[in-house]
Amino acid sequence: MREVTATVLENVQIAENIYSLTFATEEEISVRPGQFCMLGVAGYPLRRPIAICKAERKRFTVCYQLKGGGTKSLATNYTKGEKLSVLLPLGNGFFVKPEEKKVAIVGGGVGIFPLISAIRAFAGEKEIFAYMGFRNKEAVCMEYEMQRGKSLTLCTDDGSLGFHGNAVQAFMKEVNEVRPDVVLSCGPTPMLRALKAAMQGRDIPTFVSLEERMGCGIGACLVCVCDRTGGTNARVCKDGPVFEIGEVEL
Amino acid sequence: MADLRVNICGVELKNPVIPASGTFGFGREFDGIYDISVLGGVATKGLTLEPRLGNPVPRIAESRGVILNAVGLQNPGVEAFIEHDLAWLKSKTRVVANVAGRTLEDYAGICARLDGLVDFIELNISCPNVRSGGMAFGIRACDVKEVTHVAKSALKKTPLIVKLSPNVESIAANARAAEEGGADCISLINTLTGMAIDIERRKPIIANNTGGVSGAGVKPIAVRMVYEASHAVTIPVIGMGGITCAEDAIEFLMAGASAVQVGTQNFTDTLACPKIIQGISAWCDRHGVEKVSELTNTLKLN
Repeated sequence: MREVTATVLENVQIAENIYSLTFATEEEISVRPGQFCMLGVAGYPLRRPIAICKAERKRFTVCYQLKGGGTKSLATNYTKGEKLSVLLPLGNGFFVKPEEKKVAIVGGGVGIFPLISAIRAFAGEKEIFAYMGFRNKEAVCMEYEMQRGKSLTLCTDDGSLGFHGNAVQAFMKEVNEVRPDVVLSCGPTPMLRALKAAMQGRDIPTFVSLEERMGCGIGACLVCVCDRTGGTNARVCKDGPVFEIGEVEL
Repeated sequence: MADLRVNICGVELKNPVIPASGTFGFGREFDGIYDISVLGGVATKGLTLEPRLGNPVPRIAESRGVILNAVGLQNPGVEAFIEHDLAWLKSKTRVVANVAGRTLEDYAGICARLDGLVDFIELNISCPNVRSGGMAFGIRACDVKEVTHVAKSALKKTPLIVKLSPNVESIAANARAAEEGGADCISLINTLTGMAIDIERRKPIIANNTGGVSGAGVKPIAVRMVYEASHAVTIPVIGMGGITCAEDAIEFLMAGASAVQVGTQNFTDTLACPKIIQGISAWCDRHGVEKVSELTNTLKLN
Protein backbone atom coordinates (compact mmCIF):
# COMPACT_ATOMS: atom_id res chain seq x y z
CA MET A 1 0.00 0.00 0.00
CA ARG A 2 1.54 3.27 -1.04
CA GLU A 3 0.73 6.68 -2.41
CA VAL A 4 2.21 7.40 -5.84
CA THR A 5 2.03 10.00 -8.54
CA ALA A 6 1.11 8.14 -11.70
CA THR A 7 1.06 9.29 -15.32
CA VAL A 8 -2.04 8.80 -17.44
CA LEU A 9 -1.30 6.72 -20.55
CA GLU A 10 -4.83 6.46 -21.88
CA ASN A 11 -8.34 7.41 -20.77
CA VAL A 12 -11.00 6.34 -23.26
CA GLN A 13 -14.68 5.55 -23.38
CA ILE A 14 -15.30 1.83 -23.89
CA ALA A 15 -19.10 1.65 -23.51
CA GLU A 16 -21.96 3.95 -22.65
CA ASN A 17 -20.85 5.91 -19.56
CA ILE A 18 -17.90 3.55 -19.02
CA TYR A 19 -14.29 4.67 -19.31
CA SER A 20 -11.03 2.78 -19.20
CA LEU A 21 -8.08 4.62 -17.65
CA THR A 22 -4.55 3.27 -17.90
CA PHE A 23 -1.77 4.82 -15.85
CA ALA A 24 1.90 4.15 -15.30
CA THR A 25 3.79 4.24 -12.02
CA GLU A 26 7.51 4.81 -11.69
CA GLU A 27 8.09 1.69 -9.66
CA GLU A 28 6.71 -1.80 -10.01
CA ILE A 29 3.76 -2.46 -7.75
CA SER A 30 2.49 -5.93 -7.01
CA VAL A 31 -1.31 -6.12 -7.10
CA ARG A 32 -3.57 -9.10 -6.33
CA PRO A 33 -6.68 -9.73 -8.42
CA GLY A 34 -9.66 -8.01 -6.80
CA GLN A 35 -7.67 -5.25 -5.13
CA PHE A 36 -8.55 -1.62 -5.76
CA CYS A 37 -7.03 1.83 -5.79
CA MET A 38 -8.11 5.30 -4.66
CA LEU A 39 -7.76 7.93 -7.38
CA GLY A 40 -7.36 11.56 -6.41
CA VAL A 41 -9.32 13.98 -8.58
CA ALA A 42 -8.18 17.62 -8.32
CA GLY A 43 -10.78 19.75 -6.57
CA TYR A 44 -12.54 16.83 -4.87
CA PRO A 45 -11.79 16.12 -1.21
CA LEU A 46 -12.55 12.41 -1.46
CA ARG A 47 -10.61 10.02 -3.64
CA ARG A 48 -12.53 7.65 -5.88
CA PRO A 49 -12.23 3.97 -4.96
CA ILE A 50 -12.01 1.96 -8.19
CA ALA A 51 -11.22 -1.70 -8.81
CA ILE A 52 -8.02 -2.50 -10.62
CA CYS A 53 -8.92 -4.31 -13.80
CA LYS A 54 -5.46 -5.00 -15.19
CA ALA A 55 -2.12 -4.82 -13.40
CA GLU A 56 1.14 -5.26 -15.26
CA ARG A 57 4.03 -4.30 -12.98
CA LYS A 58 4.13 -0.54 -13.68
CA ARG A 59 0.99 -0.27 -15.77
CA PHE A 60 -2.52 -0.38 -14.37
CA THR A 61 -5.98 -0.13 -15.89
CA VAL A 62 -9.13 0.82 -14.04
CA CYS A 63 -12.60 1.06 -15.54
CA TYR A 64 -15.14 3.46 -14.13
CA GLN A 65 -18.69 4.56 -14.69
CA LEU A 66 -19.61 8.22 -14.98
CA LYS A 67 -21.57 8.84 -11.80
CA GLY A 68 -21.09 12.40 -10.62
CA GLY A 69 -18.79 15.39 -10.84
CA GLY A 70 -15.70 13.48 -9.75
CA THR A 71 -15.86 10.77 -12.39
CA LYS A 72 -16.86 13.36 -15.01
CA SER A 73 -13.78 15.38 -14.13
CA LEU A 74 -11.70 12.21 -14.27
CA ALA A 75 -13.01 11.47 -17.76
CA THR A 76 -12.49 15.00 -19.09
CA ASN A 77 -9.40 16.32 -17.38
CA TYR A 78 -7.10 13.32 -17.10
CA THR A 79 -5.82 12.91 -20.62
CA LYS A 80 -2.56 11.30 -21.69
CA GLY A 81 0.42 12.70 -19.81
CA GLU A 82 -1.58 14.13 -16.89
CA LYS A 83 -0.46 13.29 -13.36
CA LEU A 84 -2.74 11.39 -11.05
CA SER A 85 -2.40 10.79 -7.31
CA VAL A 86 -3.10 7.12 -6.57
CA LEU A 87 -3.19 5.08 -3.40
CA LEU A 88 -2.67 1.37 -4.16
CA PRO A 89 -2.98 -1.55 -3.84
CA LEU A 90 -5.87 -1.62 -1.38
CA GLY A 91 -8.05 -4.34 0.09
CA ASN A 92 -7.62 -8.10 0.28
CA GLY A 93 -8.46 -9.30 -3.24
CA PHE A 94 -9.56 -12.72 -4.46
CA PHE A 95 -7.80 -15.84 -3.17
CA VAL A 96 -8.21 -19.20 -4.83
CA LYS A 97 -6.71 -22.29 -3.19
CA PRO A 98 -4.32 -24.46 -5.22
CA GLU A 99 -6.74 -27.40 -5.04
CA GLU A 100 -9.60 -25.30 -6.39
CA LYS A 101 -9.28 -25.94 -10.11
CA LYS A 102 -12.64 -24.91 -11.49
CA VAL A 103 -13.51 -21.29 -10.90
CA ALA A 104 -16.91 -19.82 -11.75
CA ILE A 105 -16.98 -16.07 -12.22
CA VAL A 106 -20.32 -14.30 -11.93
CA GLY A 107 -20.40 -10.57 -12.65
CA GLY A 108 -22.85 -7.83 -13.43
CA GLY A 109 -22.60 -4.17 -14.42
CA VAL A 110 -19.40 -2.46 -13.28
CA GLY A 111 -18.82 -5.54 -11.12
CA ILE A 112 -17.27 -7.23 -14.14
CA PHE A 113 -14.10 -5.10 -13.87
CA PRO A 114 -12.58 -6.51 -10.66
CA LEU A 115 -13.51 -9.96 -11.98
CA ILE A 116 -11.52 -9.35 -15.15
CA SER A 117 -8.44 -9.03 -12.93
CA ALA A 118 -9.29 -12.48 -11.54
CA ILE A 119 -9.78 -13.98 -15.01
CA ARG A 120 -6.43 -12.55 -16.11
CA ALA A 121 -4.64 -13.83 -13.00
CA PHE A 122 -6.12 -17.33 -12.88
CA ALA A 123 -6.73 -18.15 -16.56
CA GLY A 124 -3.42 -19.99 -17.00
CA GLU A 125 -3.75 -22.35 -14.06
CA LYS A 126 -7.50 -22.74 -13.55
CA GLU A 127 -10.52 -23.67 -15.60
CA ILE A 128 -12.60 -20.52 -15.66
CA PHE A 129 -16.30 -20.40 -16.41
CA ALA A 130 -17.38 -16.78 -16.68
CA TYR A 131 -20.95 -15.46 -16.61
CA MET A 132 -21.06 -11.74 -17.23
CA GLY A 133 -24.23 -9.66 -17.25
CA PHE A 134 -24.97 -6.35 -18.95
CA ARG A 135 -28.00 -4.15 -19.42
CA ASN A 136 -27.98 -4.58 -23.19
CA LYS A 137 -25.56 -5.36 -26.01
CA GLU A 138 -24.37 -1.73 -26.24
CA ALA A 139 -23.11 -1.99 -22.65
CA VAL A 140 -20.88 -5.02 -23.37
CA CYS A 141 -17.19 -4.21 -23.21
CA MET A 142 -13.81 -5.87 -22.72
CA GLU A 143 -15.08 -9.09 -24.24
CA TYR A 144 -11.53 -10.09 -25.24
CA GLU A 145 -10.46 -9.99 -21.59
CA MET A 146 -13.43 -12.05 -20.41
CA GLN A 147 -12.73 -14.71 -23.06
CA ARG A 148 -9.42 -15.78 -21.53
CA GLY A 149 -11.08 -18.57 -19.54
CA LYS A 150 -12.56 -21.88 -20.62
CA SER A 151 -15.99 -20.45 -21.31
CA LEU A 152 -17.77 -17.13 -21.35
CA THR A 153 -21.51 -16.65 -21.16
CA LEU A 154 -22.59 -13.11 -21.90
CA CYS A 155 -25.98 -12.14 -20.53
CA THR A 156 -28.16 -9.14 -21.22
CA ASP A 157 -31.17 -7.95 -19.28
CA ASP A 158 -33.06 -7.22 -22.51
CA GLY A 159 -31.91 -10.31 -24.38
CA SER A 160 -30.23 -8.23 -27.10
CA LEU A 161 -27.12 -10.44 -26.84
CA GLY A 162 -26.40 -13.86 -25.37
CA PHE A 163 -28.40 -15.26 -22.47
CA HIS A 164 -31.62 -13.34 -21.78
CA GLY A 165 -31.43 -12.61 -18.05
CA ASN A 166 -28.79 -11.92 -15.46
CA ALA A 167 -25.49 -13.64 -14.78
CA VAL A 168 -26.75 -15.48 -11.69
CA GLN A 169 -29.60 -17.02 -13.68
CA ALA A 170 -27.17 -18.08 -16.42
CA PHE A 171 -24.76 -19.54 -13.88
CA MET A 172 -27.43 -21.45 -11.96
CA LYS A 173 -28.57 -23.14 -15.17
CA GLU A 174 -25.11 -24.66 -15.55
CA VAL A 175 -23.87 -24.99 -11.99
CA ASN A 176 -24.60 -28.71 -11.67
CA GLU A 177 -22.88 -29.43 -14.94
CA VAL A 178 -19.84 -27.20 -14.34
CA ARG A 179 -19.50 -28.13 -10.62
CA PRO A 180 -17.12 -25.28 -9.75
CA ASP A 181 -14.76 -25.58 -6.77
CA VAL A 182 -15.13 -21.88 -6.01
CA VAL A 183 -17.28 -18.96 -7.15
CA LEU A 184 -16.07 -15.35 -7.41
CA SER A 185 -18.65 -12.63 -7.86
CA CYS A 186 -19.17 -8.89 -8.04
CA GLY A 187 -22.16 -6.85 -9.11
CA PRO A 188 -25.25 -4.99 -7.98
CA THR A 189 -26.49 -5.93 -4.49
CA PRO A 190 -29.75 -7.55 -5.72
CA MET A 191 -27.64 -9.82 -7.94
CA LEU A 192 -25.38 -10.77 -5.04
CA ARG A 193 -28.42 -11.46 -2.87
CA ALA A 194 -29.82 -13.76 -5.54
CA LEU A 195 -26.48 -15.54 -5.72
CA LYS A 196 -26.36 -15.95 -1.96
CA ALA A 197 -29.83 -17.48 -1.92
CA ALA A 198 -29.04 -19.75 -4.86
CA MET A 199 -25.77 -21.01 -3.37
CA GLN A 200 -27.27 -21.78 0.02
CA GLY A 201 -26.68 -25.43 0.95
CA ARG A 202 -24.45 -26.15 -2.04
CA ASP A 203 -21.18 -26.28 -0.15
CA ILE A 204 -19.25 -24.38 -2.81
CA PRO A 205 -17.09 -21.58 -1.39
CA THR A 206 -18.46 -18.33 -2.82
CA PHE A 207 -16.77 -14.95 -2.56
CA VAL A 208 -18.23 -11.53 -3.30
CA SER A 209 -16.52 -8.20 -3.81
CA LEU A 210 -18.49 -5.33 -2.26
CA GLU A 211 -18.68 -1.63 -2.98
CA GLU A 212 -19.29 1.21 -0.53
CA ARG A 213 -18.71 4.96 -0.24
CA MET A 214 -15.26 5.34 1.30
CA GLY A 215 -13.27 7.90 3.25
CA CYS A 216 -9.64 6.99 3.76
CA GLY A 217 -9.55 3.69 1.83
CA ILE A 218 -7.05 2.14 4.23
CA GLY A 219 -9.21 1.09 7.17
CA ALA A 220 -8.79 4.05 9.50
CA CYS A 221 -12.02 6.04 9.28
CA LEU A 222 -14.70 3.30 9.57
CA VAL A 223 -16.88 4.93 6.92
CA CYS A 224 -17.32 1.99 4.50
CA VAL A 225 -18.60 -0.78 6.72
CA CYS A 226 -20.79 -3.73 5.80
CA ASP A 227 -22.80 -5.89 8.18
CA ARG A 228 -21.32 -9.19 9.14
CA THR A 229 -23.65 -12.04 9.97
CA GLY A 230 -23.66 -12.22 13.75
CA GLY A 231 -24.15 -8.54 14.44
CA THR A 232 -20.70 -7.05 13.96
CA ASN A 233 -19.43 -5.14 10.98
CA ALA A 234 -16.40 -5.13 8.72
CA ARG A 235 -14.51 -2.48 6.80
CA VAL A 236 -15.10 -2.94 3.07
CA CYS A 237 -11.79 -1.20 2.22
CA LYS A 238 -9.51 -3.13 4.57
CA ASP A 239 -11.24 -6.36 5.66
CA GLY A 240 -12.70 -6.66 2.14
CA PRO A 241 -13.70 -5.76 -0.47
CA VAL A 242 -13.85 -9.55 -0.94
CA PHE A 243 -15.85 -11.53 1.61
CA GLU A 244 -17.11 -15.08 1.86
CA ILE A 245 -20.76 -14.69 0.89
CA GLY A 246 -22.06 -16.27 4.11
CA GLU A 247 -19.97 -13.89 6.19
CA VAL A 248 -21.83 -10.72 5.18
CA GLU A 249 -25.40 -9.45 5.15
CA LEU A 250 -26.33 -8.25 1.69
CA MET B 1 15.77 25.01 11.00
CA ALA B 2 12.94 26.46 13.03
CA ASP B 3 12.13 24.93 16.40
CA LEU B 4 8.75 23.27 15.83
CA ARG B 5 8.19 22.12 19.40
CA VAL B 6 5.13 23.36 21.20
CA ASN B 7 4.14 22.96 24.83
CA ILE B 8 0.50 22.42 25.67
CA CYS B 9 -0.50 22.10 29.32
CA GLY B 10 3.06 21.11 30.23
CA VAL B 11 3.24 18.38 27.58
CA GLU B 12 5.79 18.91 24.83
CA LEU B 13 4.83 18.02 21.26
CA LYS B 14 7.61 17.74 18.67
CA ASN B 15 5.55 19.86 16.33
CA PRO B 16 2.07 21.40 16.34
CA VAL B 17 0.41 18.98 13.85
CA ILE B 18 -2.04 16.33 15.06
CA PRO B 19 -4.36 14.27 12.84
CA ALA B 20 -7.94 14.91 13.94
CA SER B 21 -10.13 12.35 15.63
CA GLY B 22 -12.06 10.03 13.34
CA THR B 23 -9.85 10.45 10.31
CA PHE B 24 -6.87 8.47 11.54
CA GLY B 25 -8.12 5.45 13.52
CA PHE B 26 -5.50 4.68 16.15
CA GLY B 27 -2.73 5.40 13.66
CA ARG B 28 -1.84 1.88 12.54
CA GLU B 29 -3.16 2.13 8.98
CA PHE B 30 -1.41 5.42 8.25
CA ASP B 31 1.76 4.05 9.84
CA GLY B 32 1.78 1.55 6.97
CA ILE B 33 2.28 4.50 4.62
CA TYR B 34 4.58 6.75 6.67
CA ASP B 35 6.17 6.61 10.09
CA ILE B 36 3.64 8.38 12.28
CA SER B 37 6.29 9.21 14.86
CA VAL B 38 6.88 12.36 12.77
CA LEU B 39 3.55 13.71 14.08
CA GLY B 40 3.10 16.04 17.03
CA GLY B 41 0.48 13.63 18.31
CA VAL B 42 -2.51 11.57 17.21
CA ALA B 43 -6.12 12.27 18.19
CA THR B 44 -7.70 8.83 18.36
CA LYS B 45 -10.95 7.68 16.90
CA GLY B 46 -13.69 8.69 19.37
CA LEU B 47 -13.77 6.19 22.24
CA THR B 48 -16.69 5.14 24.39
CA LEU B 49 -16.85 2.86 27.43
CA GLU B 50 -18.64 0.14 25.47
CA PRO B 51 -17.95 -0.93 21.88
CA ARG B 52 -20.24 0.77 19.36
CA LEU B 53 -21.29 -0.34 15.89
CA GLY B 54 -22.10 3.12 14.58
CA ASN B 55 -24.64 4.23 11.97
CA PRO B 56 -25.93 2.50 8.84
CA VAL B 57 -24.16 3.23 5.54
CA PRO B 58 -23.71 5.41 3.54
CA ARG B 59 -21.80 7.28 6.22
CA ILE B 60 -20.07 9.77 3.95
CA ALA B 61 -20.91 12.21 1.19
CA GLU B 62 -19.15 14.96 -0.67
CA SER B 63 -20.18 18.47 -1.57
CA ARG B 64 -18.14 21.24 -3.14
CA GLY B 65 -14.94 21.65 -1.12
CA VAL B 66 -16.32 19.69 1.84
CA ILE B 67 -17.38 16.26 2.98
CA LEU B 68 -20.15 15.18 5.32
CA ASN B 69 -19.86 12.22 7.65
CA ALA B 70 -22.07 10.38 10.11
CA VAL B 71 -20.05 7.40 11.30
CA GLY B 72 -21.87 7.37 14.61
CA LEU B 73 -18.88 6.77 16.88
CA GLN B 74 -18.14 3.24 15.78
CA ASN B 75 -15.27 2.09 18.00
CA PRO B 76 -14.11 -1.08 19.74
CA GLY B 77 -14.55 0.43 23.21
CA VAL B 78 -11.95 1.93 25.52
CA GLU B 79 -10.79 -1.41 26.93
CA ALA B 80 -9.93 -2.80 23.50
CA PHE B 81 -8.04 0.42 22.72
CA ILE B 82 -6.06 0.16 25.97
CA GLU B 83 -5.31 -3.50 25.41
CA HIS B 84 -4.41 -3.50 21.73
CA ASP B 85 -3.36 -0.04 20.61
CA LEU B 86 -2.36 2.30 23.40
CA ALA B 87 1.17 1.05 24.14
CA TRP B 88 2.02 0.95 20.46
CA LEU B 89 0.63 4.44 19.80
CA LYS B 90 2.43 5.86 22.87
CA SER B 91 5.69 4.45 21.58
CA LYS B 92 5.15 6.50 18.42
CA THR B 93 3.89 9.90 19.51
CA ARG B 94 1.70 11.86 21.93
CA VAL B 95 -1.72 10.32 22.42
CA VAL B 96 -4.81 12.50 22.45
CA ALA B 97 -7.60 10.14 23.48
CA ASN B 98 -10.86 11.46 22.07
CA VAL B 99 -13.76 10.32 24.26
CA ALA B 100 -17.53 10.47 24.08
CA GLY B 101 -20.53 9.42 26.09
CA ARG B 102 -24.30 9.45 26.36
CA THR B 103 -24.48 10.53 29.97
CA LEU B 104 -22.38 12.50 32.43
CA GLU B 105 -21.51 9.21 34.12
CA ASP B 106 -20.16 7.86 30.82
CA TYR B 107 -17.82 10.85 30.55
CA ALA B 108 -16.67 10.51 34.16
CA GLY B 109 -16.11 6.78 33.69
CA ILE B 110 -14.08 6.95 30.52
CA CYS B 111 -11.97 9.85 31.81
CA ALA B 112 -11.20 7.97 35.02
CA ARG B 113 -10.24 4.88 33.00
CA LEU B 114 -7.79 6.78 30.78
CA ASP B 115 -6.36 9.09 33.45
CA GLY B 116 -2.59 8.81 33.55
CA LEU B 117 -2.51 6.45 30.56
CA VAL B 118 -2.62 9.00 27.74
CA ASP B 119 -1.06 12.43 27.14
CA PHE B 120 -4.35 14.28 26.72
CA ILE B 121 -8.03 13.54 26.87
CA GLU B 122 -10.13 15.32 24.30
CA LEU B 123 -13.79 15.51 25.21
CA ASN B 124 -16.20 15.14 22.30
CA ILE B 125 -19.25 17.03 23.56
CA SER B 126 -21.15 16.98 20.28
CA CYS B 127 -22.92 13.76 21.27
CA PRO B 128 -26.60 13.73 22.18
CA ASN B 129 -27.24 13.99 25.91
CA VAL B 130 -29.75 11.28 26.78
CA ARG B 131 -31.12 13.35 29.68
CA SER B 132 -31.59 16.53 27.63
CA GLY B 133 -33.86 14.82 25.14
CA GLY B 134 -30.94 14.17 22.82
CA MET B 135 -29.67 17.74 22.64
CA ALA B 136 -25.88 17.67 22.41
CA PHE B 137 -23.83 18.44 25.53
CA GLY B 138 -21.90 21.00 23.50
CA ILE B 139 -24.72 23.35 22.57
CA ARG B 140 -25.63 25.31 25.71
CA ALA B 141 -22.88 26.96 27.75
CA CYS B 142 -24.34 25.59 31.01
CA ASP B 143 -24.13 22.02 29.67
CA VAL B 144 -20.58 22.58 28.39
CA LYS B 145 -19.54 23.75 31.84
CA GLU B 146 -21.23 20.82 33.56
CA VAL B 147 -19.83 18.05 31.35
CA THR B 148 -16.38 19.63 31.52
CA HIS B 149 -16.57 19.79 35.31
CA VAL B 150 -17.65 16.15 35.55
CA ALA B 151 -14.83 15.03 33.26
CA LYS B 152 -12.24 17.16 35.02
CA SER B 153 -13.29 15.84 38.41
CA ALA B 154 -12.49 12.32 37.20
CA LEU B 155 -8.97 13.30 36.15
CA LYS B 156 -5.97 13.60 38.43
CA LYS B 157 -3.09 13.43 35.97
CA THR B 158 -4.05 13.85 32.34
CA PRO B 159 -4.81 17.33 30.95
CA LEU B 160 -8.32 17.80 29.61
CA ILE B 161 -9.06 19.27 26.18
CA VAL B 162 -12.69 20.15 25.49
CA LYS B 163 -13.55 19.95 21.79
CA LEU B 164 -16.11 22.64 21.03
CA SER B 165 -18.96 22.32 18.60
CA PRO B 166 -19.47 25.18 16.13
CA ASN B 167 -23.25 24.59 16.06
CA VAL B 168 -23.82 27.05 18.90
CA GLU B 169 -25.11 30.51 19.74
CA SER B 170 -21.78 31.91 20.92
CA ILE B 171 -18.46 30.13 20.56
CA ALA B 172 -16.84 32.62 22.95
CA ALA B 173 -19.43 31.87 25.65
CA ASN B 174 -18.94 28.11 25.24
CA ALA B 175 -15.16 28.49 25.31
CA ARG B 176 -15.47 30.41 28.59
CA ALA B 177 -17.86 27.78 29.92
CA ALA B 178 -15.28 25.07 29.21
CA GLU B 179 -12.60 27.08 30.96
CA GLU B 180 -14.87 27.71 33.95
CA GLY B 181 -15.69 23.98 34.07
CA GLY B 182 -11.99 23.26 34.48
CA ALA B 183 -10.76 22.54 30.95
CA ASP B 184 -6.98 22.74 30.54
CA CYS B 185 -7.29 23.41 26.81
CA ILE B 186 -9.97 23.73 24.15
CA SER B 187 -9.97 22.43 20.61
CA LEU B 188 -12.23 23.60 17.79
CA ILE B 189 -14.07 23.36 15.55
CA ASN B 190 -15.89 20.04 15.50
CA THR B 191 -17.96 19.55 12.32
CA LEU B 192 -20.84 21.77 11.26
CA THR B 193 -24.14 19.97 10.82
CA GLY B 194 -25.18 19.69 7.18
CA MET B 195 -27.13 17.77 4.58
CA ALA B 196 -26.44 16.67 1.00
CA ILE B 197 -29.25 15.40 -1.22
CA ASP B 198 -29.33 12.88 -4.04
CA ILE B 199 -31.88 14.63 -6.26
CA GLU B 200 -32.54 11.50 -8.34
CA ARG B 201 -33.72 9.62 -5.26
CA ARG B 202 -35.00 12.76 -3.47
CA LYS B 203 -33.22 11.50 -0.38
CA PRO B 204 -30.26 12.61 1.68
CA ILE B 205 -27.10 10.78 0.59
CA ILE B 206 -26.12 9.87 4.13
CA ALA B 207 -28.23 7.19 5.84
CA ASN B 208 -28.35 9.35 8.97
CA ASN B 209 -29.84 12.18 6.81
CA THR B 210 -27.54 14.81 8.33
CA GLY B 211 -23.80 14.66 8.77
CA GLY B 212 -20.89 16.66 10.07
CA VAL B 213 -19.42 18.99 7.45
CA SER B 214 -15.64 19.29 7.27
CA GLY B 215 -12.95 20.09 4.74
CA ALA B 216 -11.45 23.10 3.02
CA GLY B 217 -14.80 24.91 2.68
CA VAL B 218 -15.28 25.31 6.44
CA LYS B 219 -11.89 26.90 7.06
CA PRO B 220 -12.91 30.60 7.21
CA ILE B 221 -15.63 29.76 9.75
CA ALA B 222 -13.15 27.74 11.79
CA VAL B 223 -10.49 30.45 11.74
CA ARG B 224 -13.01 33.05 12.89
CA MET B 225 -14.20 30.79 15.70
CA VAL B 226 -10.66 29.96 16.82
CA TYR B 227 -9.96 33.69 16.92
CA GLU B 228 -13.09 34.41 18.99
CA ALA B 229 -12.62 31.48 21.34
CA SER B 230 -8.94 32.05 21.94
CA HIS B 231 -9.61 35.65 22.86
CA ALA B 232 -12.28 34.59 25.33
CA VAL B 233 -10.06 32.27 27.38
CA THR B 234 -6.58 32.10 28.90
CA ILE B 235 -6.09 28.33 28.35
CA PRO B 236 -4.38 27.08 25.17
CA VAL B 237 -6.36 26.42 22.00
CA ILE B 238 -5.94 23.72 19.36
CA GLY B 239 -7.37 24.89 16.04
CA MET B 240 -8.86 22.83 13.24
CA GLY B 241 -11.32 23.00 10.39
CA GLY B 242 -10.42 22.65 6.73
CA ILE B 243 -6.63 22.71 7.02
CA THR B 244 -5.15 21.42 3.77
CA CYS B 245 -1.62 22.87 3.80
CA ALA B 246 1.02 24.56 5.96
CA GLU B 247 -0.29 28.04 5.15
CA ASP B 248 -3.75 27.07 6.43
CA ALA B 249 -2.19 25.75 9.64
CA ILE B 250 -0.28 29.00 10.11
CA GLU B 251 -3.52 30.98 9.83
CA PHE B 252 -4.88 29.03 12.78
CA LEU B 253 -1.72 29.62 14.81
CA MET B 254 -1.89 33.36 14.13
CA ALA B 255 -5.60 33.37 15.04
CA GLY B 256 -4.69 32.07 18.47
CA ALA B 257 -4.05 28.32 18.27
CA SER B 258 -0.99 26.69 19.87
CA ALA B 259 -1.36 23.54 17.75
CA VAL B 260 -3.58 22.34 14.94
CA GLN B 261 -5.45 19.24 13.91
CA VAL B 262 -5.81 18.01 10.34
CA GLY B 263 -8.82 15.87 9.46
CA THR B 264 -10.41 15.62 6.03
CA GLN B 265 -7.16 16.32 4.21
CA ASN B 266 -5.88 12.94 5.41
CA PHE B 267 -8.43 11.43 3.02
CA THR B 268 -7.53 13.71 0.12
CA ASP B 269 -3.81 13.21 0.60
CA THR B 270 -2.60 10.36 2.81
CA LEU B 271 0.68 12.21 3.34
CA ALA B 272 -1.02 15.51 4.30
CA CYS B 273 0.27 15.72 7.88
CA PRO B 274 3.98 15.15 7.14
CA LYS B 275 3.73 17.61 4.24
CA ILE B 276 2.14 20.24 6.49
CA ILE B 277 4.87 19.76 9.13
CA GLN B 278 7.57 20.24 6.50
CA GLY B 279 5.72 23.21 5.05
CA ILE B 280 5.43 24.94 8.43
CA SER B 281 9.14 24.45 8.99
CA ALA B 282 9.98 25.86 5.56
CA TRP B 283 7.64 28.83 6.04
CA CYS B 284 9.22 29.66 9.41
CA ASP B 285 12.69 29.47 7.87
CA ARG B 286 11.69 31.78 5.01
CA HIS B 287 10.19 34.27 7.43
CA GLY B 288 12.93 34.20 10.03
CA VAL B 289 10.67 32.62 12.63
CA GLU B 290 12.90 30.70 15.02
CA LYS B 291 10.19 29.03 17.07
CA VAL B 292 6.82 28.04 15.69
CA SER B 293 5.30 28.81 19.10
CA GLU B 294 6.06 32.49 18.43
CA LEU B 295 3.34 32.51 15.78
CA THR B 296 0.48 31.86 18.19
CA ASN B 297 -1.88 34.77 18.59
CA THR B 298 0.12 37.22 16.49
CA LEU B 299 -2.81 38.38 14.39
CA LYS B 300 -3.12 42.13 13.91
CA LEU B 301 -6.67 43.15 13.15
CA ASN B 302 -7.32 45.78 10.49
